[in-house]
Amino acid sequence: MKRFQIRTSLLVALGAALASLTILVWRYGADTEVSSEKIVVATVVGLTIGALYSLSATGLVVVYTTTGTFNFAHGGIGVFSAFVYWEIVENRTGPELPQWLGLLLVVLVVAPALGVAIDVILMRRLRDAPLVVQLMVTVGLMVFLLTLTGQIWQADKIRGVSFFWEGQGFSIGEQKVAWHRFANLVIAAIIAVFLRILLFRTRMGVAMRAVVDNRDLTALNGARPGALSAFAWALGSSLAALAGILVAPEVEFNPTNLNSLMLIVAISAAAFGQIRSLPLTVVGGLLIGLLESYNREWIDLGADFPFAGRAVAPIVLFLVVLALPQARLSVGRVSNNLRPIERTTHVWEGAVGAVFIIFMGWAIARGALHFLVWDPGEWSSVSLNKGISAMVLALIALSLVPLTGWAGQVNFAPLAFAGFGAFLFLRLGLWFGVPDTGGTGNLVWLPVIGLLCAPLGALLAVFAARLSGLYLALLSLAFALITSNVLFPHPQVFPRVHTFPSPYLDVGLFRIDFDSRFSFFMLLMTMFALGMFCLVVLRRSRYGRRWVAMQDSQAAAATVGVNVIWTKIVVYATSSAMAGMAGVLWATSKSTVDFRDFDLLNGLTIVLLMAAAGMSFPVAGLFLSFQFVFEGLAERLEQTGNVGFLVWLLKDFLAKFGPGMLAIGMVVNQRGAIFEMGKGFAPLLPWRDDARAELAAERATKREAEIGGLGLTEPFTSEAVVGLDSALGIVDDVTPGAGYRHGVARPMESTHD
Amino acid sequence: MSKSKGSMSERKSRRVALRWLSAVLALGLLAGACGSDRDDTDAGNTTTTTTEAPDPGGDGDGDGDGTTTTTEAPTADPCADVTLEATEIGVSEDTIKVIVMADVDSPLAPGLFQGSVDGVMAWAEKVNAEGGLACRQVEVEFHDSKLNGQTTVEGFLKACDSALALVGTTVLFGLDVEDLNTCADQAGDPTGVPDVSYITTEVPHQCSAVSFHLSRPGAECPYEGGERDYNASVGAVSYLQESLGVDFHGIFLVPSDLPSTIASMAPQTAAQQEVGVTFDGVFGASGSATQAEFGPFVNTIRDNESNYVYNGSNDQAMLKMKREAALQGLDTESITWLCTLSCYTPAFIEEGGADAEGVYIWSFFLPFEEADTNDELAVFMDNIGTDFPPAWAAGAWVDGLLFEQAVEAIVERDGPNGLTRKSVLDELATVTTFDANGWWSTTDFTTTNTIGGCFVVLQVQDGEYVRVHPEERGTLDCTIDTVAVTTDPDTFTLD
Repeated sequence: MKRFQIRTSLLVALGAALASLTILVWRYGADTEVSSEKIVVATVVGLTIGALYSLSATGLVVVYTTTGTFNFAHGGIGVFSAFVYWEIVENRTGPELPQWLGLLLVVLVVAPALGVAIDVILMRRLRDAPLVVQLMVTVGLMVFLLTLTGQIWQADKIRGVSFFWEGQGFSIGEQKVAWHRFANLVIAAIIAVFLRILLFRTRMGVAMRAVVDNRDLTALNGARPGALSAFAWALGSSLAALAGILVAPEVEFNPTNLNSLMLIVAISAAAFGQIRSLPLTVVGGLLIGLLESYNREWIDLGADFPFAGRAVAPIVLFLVVLALPQARLSVGRVSNNLRPIERTTHVWEGAVGAVFIIFMGWAIARGALHFLVWDPGEWSSVSLNKGISAMVLALIALSLVPLTGWAGQVNFAPLAFAGFGAFLFLRLGLWFGVPDTGGTGNLVWLPVIGLLCAPLGALLAVFAARLSGLYLALLSLAFALITSNVLFPHPQVFPRVHTFPSPYLDVGLFRIDFDSRFSFFMLLMTMFALGMFCLVVLRRSRYGRRWVAMQDSQAAAATVGVNVIWTKIVVYATSSAMAGMAGVLWATSKSTVDFRDFDLLNGLTIVLLMAAAGMSFPVAGLFLSFQFVFEGLAERLEQTGNVGFLVWLLKDFLAKFGPGMLAIGMVVNQRGAIFEMGKGFAPLLPWRDDARAELAAERATKREAEIGGLGLTEPFTSEAVVGLDSALGIVDDVTPGAGYRHGVARPMESTHD
Repeated sequence: MSKSKGSMSERKSRRVALRWLSAVLALGLLAGACGSDRDDTDAGNTTTTTTEAPDPGGDGDGDGDGTTTTTEAPTADPCADVTLEATEIGVSEDTIKVIVMADVDSPLAPGLFQGSVDGVMAWAEKVNAEGGLACRQVEVEFHDSKLNGQTTVEGFLKACDSALALVGTTVLFGLDVEDLNTCADQAGDPTGVPDVSYITTEVPHQCSAVSFHLSRPGAECPYEGGERDYNASVGAVSYLQESLGVDFHGIFLVPSDLPSTIASMAPQTAAQQEVGVTFDGVFGASGSATQAEFGPFVNTIRDNESNYVYNGSNDQAMLKMKREAALQGLDTESITWLCTLSCYTPAFIEEGGADAEGVYIWSFFLPFEEADTNDELAVFMDNIGTDFPPAWAAGAWVDGLLFEQAVEAIVERDGPNGLTRKSVLDELATVTTFDANGWWSTTDFTTTNTIGGCFVVLQVQDGEYVRVHPEERGTLDCTIDTVAVTTDPDTFTLD
């Protein structure tokens, strides 16, 4: 059955890709020359690049197949390893180290060690974590590794990695093929075969895959899941390192370049094999390489689509994911909801919180917090600008709360929806003839644009309805890449030279003018607070409960009468409308809206920070401002002459490594920082008896663990006595002259609050 | 932020020695000029601007203009008997604050324009060591625009709030210039902030009324889309065609990572076609392209028996192109490889090795190797702290020099308390022939669509940059006119 499904999806994807290619060639390529020589050149180039994609993609598949984790950090590992290779081979000042020896050292020693470290330190703790947490930790790891690589090997010099067998090769017609490139192709094929045998024909491989299906059962059969998992990560990292080193001579050698080549296309190739089949993954990589090469050679979409070529892999990814068989409802498993009973915020609490946020926004921006130890003073226009940017991002981030936080629909494309909102706002302004504003000049249009954006979300929901989990995340990734590379760069979407003088100066809501940066910032604060309050109300509504139920178990939700498809459409439409409206505010805050504002990297940062803060909590949107806060504080410290460690910490360390580290921190704090902060803060509120009871229960559980069986189920050791004493508050009385007395009990009230 | 360049005493002694050397050279040149009827501006096709400026330091040593061809009349010390005032935002009784904004720390291109920052810092250090500007010390603050539109706006805002001017601006995302153009000065007027910039690619920044770009797009402003009038410098191409005796036909590599960089190449291709170049292909060379992707370009060269490759992209693109051509068995020596200043880097030679050999580079300023031929270049090389700085550093230094000369002219006219944003803008808008004391191609800042046509052609020979034309060291060729073209940059398509 599975084999049938794979073949079906392959055929559908192939058919779709070929149909698209045929249509494009027919439409745009009528005048281009097609000669056998050109076909040979384009094919050789395509296979050469495709082999690199295949190599990289196999590593992704191996890790996913054997650990169940989709590793976004795959490219980051490859990049780091490639730079280590450069350091020991190309930058070596002592005796020359042969290329092959350097390759072996990195691929067989450095990379596996890194893989094992990642497994032991991070991934083992994510075994039962929700998908969004698993994905975000690997995204955070990717960001961390790329930042680390950039910091160690700074751009103070240009680096290059030599080809293996430099300058040597063989000819096919007039086209010469370098041995290095041919080796890529051969290595990709050999690795695919080797891994296929390892995973499906050896006891170890079977055990590795079994661990993903049922870890406990596999352990009962004598396997060692921990060791297998470490081996899987070591193997995946070695493959990433191999790909990184072989790709390096072909590109401008910097972390971002290398990563983009290794990751985005590799994901498409891996999806081609449904992230399971290694042979199909290799085929997918080669196919994408060929499509890109043929596209460059024969398809000309003109100046209006300057980056359409970058969208080949995302389009393949989109088509492949759409062609996948419908996801089966997951039944017979306990929901991995970490908190069985979740208290929902009361409406009045939401209202108080909203007012508090508006007040705090005003107080901070106006410098009214004189009672603080360190008075930051009134915000400058630079700080207000940072605040405006942060609040716009926070508003976009709010759109993720119902969709991802509650309904569990992973979405990497919040900025795609925001971009559509910005585009509609600008276009409506032009169509309705409002001069020089680039928008309608009145925020009354905001809900209109929200309504116009909602169908777009609904449309994506129709595609997404058949999907769940990882494939849904990949679909949104492809959607984000297609919009940012194909649609938004079109000059009719965001004009390249048109500017709009001081938009927010012309913005009004009814009769209120937001004629300064401060008032516009306060408008955004108010809209955020309002949006947060609306979400609190929505969470308590019938739809809010349905969305959460859908995340817990679609099968159970369907059983109790929830229309899953319709519920998905509504949540996508809601999220899209919210992001679209936030996009309007983004467009309004600038005098020129540029397609680069809505690219994948910016969107990924929003998702990353929201996940770290707690995707299901609306107030988490404020976390989007953390980078601005660090930078602002550092600048303020610099202005006051406090240059030193603190500035370095804020500006050079936390601002750079912060996003990655926050996401990695989800390993120990999977529900997000807001949840942990709330757990500490809630018991202090007079009306939160429930929080105090929960805290007491948690302490009791912890105490039981410390007591450790009282010698009944575990040996009664001296360590156990110490633990018991500590838990029960018993101290030894060693008062001079009174002799030694064991077991003086302390008052116990602190443990029974 | 500035790099270490030896101790203060060492620098001071170098400067004193340099002043003596300058004085001797000035006397020598003066004597030579008196004994000859040759016009200096014609000598070796070199243009030389003599800028008379007051002695800012007031110490009577006459080092304010940096030129060697002018004998300065004794001037009164402008700082004497003047109570200095805080005349403008960024101008206090004892300091002038300027901001240097550049794209430096970004994951896409880490350290990209660090050279610009170093250039302005070095210029300020030199100015301060010489006694300052307008009787005040120059204070430089660096703002990193990080290849990001929003951060670039913050830089403009920071300048609005705290600086007299932006100097050495090197940003690629200068899209939102509203605040730059209109923010209030100390008097509350919407004057904007003077922006003496080096490089800009975005139209709003190019056409900003308060921006004065050293590396000029040579394009018509204002511009709202459609066809645009340009002036492009193609002197190096014309010279090479003539000297090699061939009509070039070949390929053009366009930096294709941004719409603005693609569009910026439209006038250059049109201008080269005007002087007889035929393009067999105009290809995008993205920074993220693999070397294998240059294969089809090589095939185009082979199919058309092309004799010319022009690289408008970065040095890495040139190396990839040349390496792929060599790999595919082309006779690379039969092709003329011409590159912009992006190939004038130590890394191009170091990293390129044999692949860099033979590449021609055209520059609009005297090369760093000829510091002994030009005082301004010599002072720059003495202060920048490296034997081979990036071109950005030179551009930012020259921006500083332009700003310095504008301020000095204001001081001479209105005194040190005449310094305001408006007076700086007015002064900059009258500069018609700025050539950084003979180091750079002449620039006219009164219009946007003019461009300096002077050039020098270098070639990589035996691992070094060697002057090819004009032969005389210390000179630029200014005899070939720029080419006027009209083209629509948004419809410029790649093959």
